[in-house]
Amino acid sequence: MRFIVSADTHLGSPIRSVALRNPELGERLKQASFDTFRRIVDMAILEAADALVLAGDIFDSDFPDLKSRAFLITQLTRAGTAGIPTILIRGNHDALLDHTAHGSLGPDIHLLHKGNPTVEIGNVMFHGLSFDKSHLAKSLLPDYPEPVIGRTNVGLMHTSLGGSPGHDPYAPCSEQDLLAYGYDLWCLGHIHMPFERRSGSTLAVMPGIPQPRHYGERSGGSVAAVTVGDGIPQLERRDVGHLRFMEAKLDLTELGDQSEVLCKIDAALKAAQDPLRITAVRLQVTTARHTDDDLQALATELLESIDDVFLDKVKVLPPKNLTDDKVNDLARLMRAEVQEDGFRQACAEMLDDMRNALPPNIRDALPEDEITELLEEAIDEVSLSLHGVDTQ
Amino acid sequence: MRLNRLDLTRYGRFKDAQITLPIPRADASDVTVIYGPNEAGKSTAFTAYLELLFGMKARDHPYDFQFKRSDLLVGAELTIPNRGTMTLQRNSKRNQSLLDQQGRPIEETVLSAALHGLSRDDYIERFSLNDVGLREGGVRIANAQGDLGQLLHAGVSGLTTIATTLEQMTAHADRFHKKGGRGTELKVAKDRLAKINQELRASRLTPERERTLAAAKDDTEKEFEIADKSLEGARLRQNALAAAQTWHDQTDTIGQVDSKLAEFPDGPELPKGAEAAVASLVITISDKSLRASDAKDALEALRKIISDNPEDPLATALRHELRQLDQLTFDNAPLLARATTAASDLDRRIADREALGAKINEAVVALDMAEVPVETLVLTSDEIDDLAKAAQSVVNLERDVIAAAAAATRARDQLDEAPPEPQDLSQLQTAWDKWSAVADITLAKNAVATETAQLATAVAGLPASWADLVAVGLPARETLLDLAGALATASADLGSSEAELETQEIAYELAQANRQTYEATPATIDAIAIAETRRKRDAIWVEHRSTLSAESAIEFEGAMHVDDDAQASFAAGQDARGQLITARREEAAARVLRDKAQERLNRATEKFGELKRQAAASASALGHAPETNPAAFTDRRTTLLQAAAIEAKIKNAQADLDIQSARRSAALQEMKKAANAVGIDCADNDLPSGVQAALTLQNSVRQAWNRWKEAKEVSADLEQEATDATTDKAAAQKTLQSLINTLPLAGRTAGEIIAALPNLRRLSQLHAEQAKLILRIETLENAIAQLDATALRIMAVTDAVNDPKVTSLEVIEQARMRVTAEERATEKRTAAQAEKAKEETARKQAVTAIADARMELAEWFTDQGAEDLEPTQRVAVLSERDSLRDTRKAQDELRTSARVGVNEDLFVEELAKLPDASRAAAVEQLLKDAQQDRDQAFAAHREAVRLYKVAFDADNQSNLTTEQATILEEIRRGVRKTAVARLGVLAAKGALRRLATERRATMLGDVEQAFVAITAPDWSRVDVWSQSEGEKLIGVKPDGSSVSVEDMSTGTMGQLYFALRVAGYRSFARDLGPLPMILDDIMETFDDDRAKAALQLCCDIGRSGQAIIFTHHAHLVDLARDAIPDVNVVDMPG
Repeated sequence: MRFIVSADTHLGSPIRSVALRNPELGERLKQASFDTFRRIVDMAILEAADALVLAGDIFDSDFPDLKSRAFLITQLTRAGTAGIPTILIRGNHDALLDHTAHGSLGPDIHLLHKGNPTVEIGNVMFHGLSFDKSHLAKSLLPDYPEPVIGRTNVGLMHTSLGGSPGHDPYAPCSEQDLLAYGYDLWCLGHIHMPFERRSGSTLAVMPGIPQPRHYGERSGGSVAAVTVGDGIPQLERRDVGHLRFMEAKLDLTELGDQSEVLCKIDAALKAAQDPLRITAVRLQVTTARHTDDDLQALATELLESIDDVFLDKVKVLPPKNLTDDKVNDLARLMRAEVQEDGFRQACAEMLDDMRNALPPNIRDALPEDEITELLEEAIDEVSLSLHGVDTQ
Repeated sequence: MRLNRLDLTRYGRFKDAQITLPIPRADASDVTVIYGPNEAGKSTAFTAYLELLFGMKARDHPYDFQFKRSDLLVGAELTIPNRGTMTLQRNSKRNQSLLDQQGRPIEETVLSAALHGLSRDDYIERFSLNDVGLREGGVRIANAQGDLGQLLHAGVSGLTTIATTLEQMTAHADRFHKKGGRGTELKVAKDRLAKINQELRASRLTPERERTLAAAKDDTEKEFEIADKSLEGARLRQNALAAAQTWHDQTDTIGQVDSKLAEFPDGPELPKGAEAAVASLVITISDKSLRASDAKDALEALRKIISDNPEDPLATALRHELRQLDQLTFDNAPLLARATTAASDLDRRIADREALGAKINEAVVALDMAEVPVETLVLTSDEIDDLAKAAQSVVNLERDVIAAAAAATRARDQLDEAPPEPQDLSQLQTAWDKWSAVADITLAKNAVATETAQLATAVAGLPASWADLVAVGLPARETLLDLAGALATASADLGSSEAELETQEIAYELAQANRQTYEATPATIDAIAIAETRRKRDAIWVEHRSTLSAESAIEFEGAMHVDDDAQASFAAGQDARGQLITARREEAAARVLRDKAQERLNRATEKFGELKRQAAASASALGHAPETNPAAFTDRRTTLLQAAAIEAKIKNAQADLDIQSARRSAALQEMKKAANAVGIDCADNDLPSGVQAALTLQNSVRQAWNRWKEAKEVSADLEQEATDATTDKAAAQKTLQSLINTLPLAGRTAGEIIAALPNLRRLSQLHAEQAKLILRIETLENAIAQLDATALRIMAVTDAVNDPKVTSLEVIEQARMRVTAEERATEKRTAAQAEKAKEETARKQAVTAIADARMELAEWFTDQGAEDLEPTQRVAVLSERDSLRDTRKAQDELRTSARVGVNEDLFVEELAKLPDASRAAAVEQLLKDAQQDRDQAFAAHREAVRLYKVAFDADNQSNLTTEQATILEEIRRGVRKTAVARLGVLAAKGALRRLATERRATMLGDVEQAFVAITAPDWSRVDVWSQSEGEKLIGVKPDGSSVSVEDMSTGTMGQLYFALRVAGYRSFARDLGPLPMILDDIMETFDDDRAKAALQLCCDIGRSGQAIIFTHHAHLVDLARDAIPDVNVVDMPG
């Protein structure tokens, strides 16, 4: 049997990039999460998959809208009509999937939860448990049904696995325990980055977010096509995202004139073109002579003639500094200045003021613990601005 | 660090050229002036120096036109602290490009340490200065508002825009966010976010909202169900009331019907259709009785008609005569019809004939020709017309002759004396016209002047021999473009070929070393070698067996060990041998690749050289220096072609001007000749006005002459017309005479003939009418005779006696009346006989029908009462009885059916309340109220359902969600940039304050010394004022007055900037050691005093380190010799 496995679709959650300020791109991608989900269902139908597996976070709790639920039911009903059942679980964002509050999703759509943890389709036993609240600090693995001997056992779980520093654990579970549980296949959700783990004949697959929403999710953009039967489950990844994020690193320090700079940026942007997807590029540029605004203006102009590539952001890095501190008085003295407690206090207060002026949900844009990094950027910015406009 | 010599080995147009900068005496200032005219290569030398220090440009090198980039080589002799004097070279390779004197790569740190890690840009900013930089730097430091830190920073770093930069960063940050700012980007974005959030909240179908909408839907549905039930109850009650009312009403009616039925006879109900059938039978009996009676009366009348119309025996003979008479005709009409009027008509015609005779006689008398026979005076109308025409012509011509003679006389009398005849000036006019057409040549002169001015503009910048270049022929544009493209491609190809060869060489060397390493390994011994050791061992064994000596044993032992080792190595060396084979294969492959790379490089070199030669040739053809970059060729070609085109236009314009001048001169001479011919003699300048005056005067003379000639011609024409009229009159008289010669009119004049014409016409007309009338009278007389004959024959048939009082017409009319009467009687008699037979048949049928109807009538009334009534009355009574019976039955069914489906309890309840006149209205009101309640509930429910559906169908506002996310990202980016900018400005300002504190002690004196030196005697010193915003530099005049930096003149600010740079240089030299300072014609715009002062500052620089001054002004060289003791002056190499 072959399944299309996806997770973390976050229906309704928008793309977060300033590239979408472009009206054409904004229009094309405003429904990206829905369009991508539609593409996943299309793929399942086209490939005559035996089931569609969704491992949680189908919705996004920041965008609670029952219209998204209606959309989901429409799409899954379409798959059901084509003979493809759907097995899904609730993740930490899926309050809209609460069957006690909103009822059943319909025929051929199997929501697995504590009261109904297993469904048999063909010769495969699908086991899964759903989040009953937005946060679960303990592992769900002990509550999963025992594997059924003589059948293929597939588990659906929404988990942060071992977790990562700085992030709350969500139904934490170690990979080793998971792979040793006796199931043939684990379909996982929650971590938006795709990965796979194997142990013996067991495969655990995290399909990743099918439509990356921002640069941090650039490794996503795909779903998993898994074939189970005799032997080890086989895995293929299929691109489904309408937009991908990518990074292009450029070093302009050796370049002489503007035409060479343009050529280099142009080549990097053209290299980002993908015939099947739109690409939002983040340029990471090493230069001592250009500010990010200068480079953004150049790149924007070049992109006028490059289809389906858009600029996410320009990040400027100063070249490795070889100059003696004794020579570069300004940088040296700025570094000395920023070490002063009084100065830092003044900076912290200024940043507080700015932070408080921001909408509450993005006050993390100026993290309190990044003042040192900000000051380094500030010293570089002064140097770049100074050299960028003053050359004989 | 000091630059002792710059080697331009292969660079730009230089080959093996050197610029030596002599080392000064120990106590002398180290200043070298490098002099060379424009285009001598000073910029090339400066760039070469920078590339020596920092490496060569990777692509599109500006100085690779003579030598390909890979061949470029510069060098220098430098004195480097802690290393002494070194000769270094730099080639264009990407790596290891810094070489020692022997061309061996050396570490970059040799130079980078000496340069303190400065980048090329840093070096240019700090250790070079040109005229433009000096002026612009002066202007820009004004933005520092005298801030000491910023000014010292400018002096140290050479960067003059820190004030502008910090302002821009602050402005950028303020644009994004400023406390209290109303139009900041952040405020605008937040406002928009608030609006988006509001719209999203309104559009988002959250579970809570869905629950609210669903509850509203359910509640309204329940309310609707209640209202619907109430309405149903009201309807049932209304139905029950209606049924009760019906029951009540019909019960009353049935009682009344029963009372009436008691008065009607008994008997069965009449069969269906009885009433109609009885009525029909009664009508039949009545109709048939009437028909039989009518038939009897009709038979009597018909018999009488037959007896009243007997047959006439003479009718046949009379009809025959009349038929013959009717066939006779007169004037295309039956004779009889005309005969009735013929007699009276005949008398009238005879009277008319007599009257015409009298009129003819009157006409003859009027013509005064009573004795002439009438027939000779009767003319046809054509003859009369000819006669009238001829007579009228004679009369008209007589009148024309008189009028023409009078006109000719008047014209003759009015003709004046002839005026003087004009001269013939036609040739002069022609000459004048030609002159006028070519007289103005201003446009042609202007065209020459305009094109000449354009040519001067176009050839500016072109060599003097540009026309020769064009004349020889320029290369085609495509050729130049191809050449430039090919050269760029070849250059790139050459570079890549060199890099590839370098790579392949290294790869080959590695492969060689690898192969050699494997070959040196014993394990790589091959099968041939072990066969050889085995063969040697066996041979020695054979020899040892033969000798069995100790020597041979030792020898064999040695051979055996060698063989054993070889065998062991071979056995263990399978992998090593494989590796050796692979290493040899790789070496061979590397060698092939190296050779190919070498071939490619050779080809690329050859091609590049060929293209460079072509480029040099093209440059010469275009008037460029041979080393000129081909990129400039097409522009030069275009300029040359434009110049050539303009020159061609000038030639054309000049030729046109020459032609027009020649034409003008020829026209003037021709006009002069024509003027002389008519007696006009003027100087050339006055000739046009003289000719124009003569032509104008001659025009009025010619007009008078033409008018007199026209009057004379008119007089002659009138004389001729009079003569012609006389001739025509004679001809007309002759014609008239020929017409009247045969008539009795001879001797009469044309006027008399015209007067006689009416009578002649009348006579001819009357004579014709008289002839017609005579013929008519004869015809009438014949018709009357025929009529009389017929009348006589009719009288013979009827034996009538001839009575003279009875006319023939009356006899004939009587006969016709008798025949007609006989025909009418026959018709009546025949018709009556036919009708009589029909009536007899009808009478018999009516009698039979009456008998049948009476029998059928009796059957319809079988067993019925009321026998005494007529059938129609009897059947009406019985039918009324049956109708009452039907009514009763229907009413009973109606009241019964009214209860069907009606709630029995409500029926009984409502029936008990009857009769009640207001009950129906009360129940109707109840129903209306229930209906209204139900409608309202239904509408409320429908609205709740609609709202629920709309909430699901509504757009999910993904555009707003996307915009919201985008704005948040923009704010994230913006706030970080703003924070960085604000922190940067804060840090920079602090750093500048620190700089001022740190450097003021060491630099301020240098600044003052340099400033006073270059501005003396206008300024005496500088000072520093402490202000709240920091320390501020000011200039002090000799009179003690102070001037802020921003209030200084542009020139003074430039000088202050130079002073700051000098002080900065000294500071750097003091702290870190000197580096060469390059000054490129900075005194270009200075007067001699300022230039000398500036040179003295350069001398100061030279005392701290090394100053190198490039100039193309010879007088600056002289000034430098005056201002700087022991200055070195070197010329640019040729």
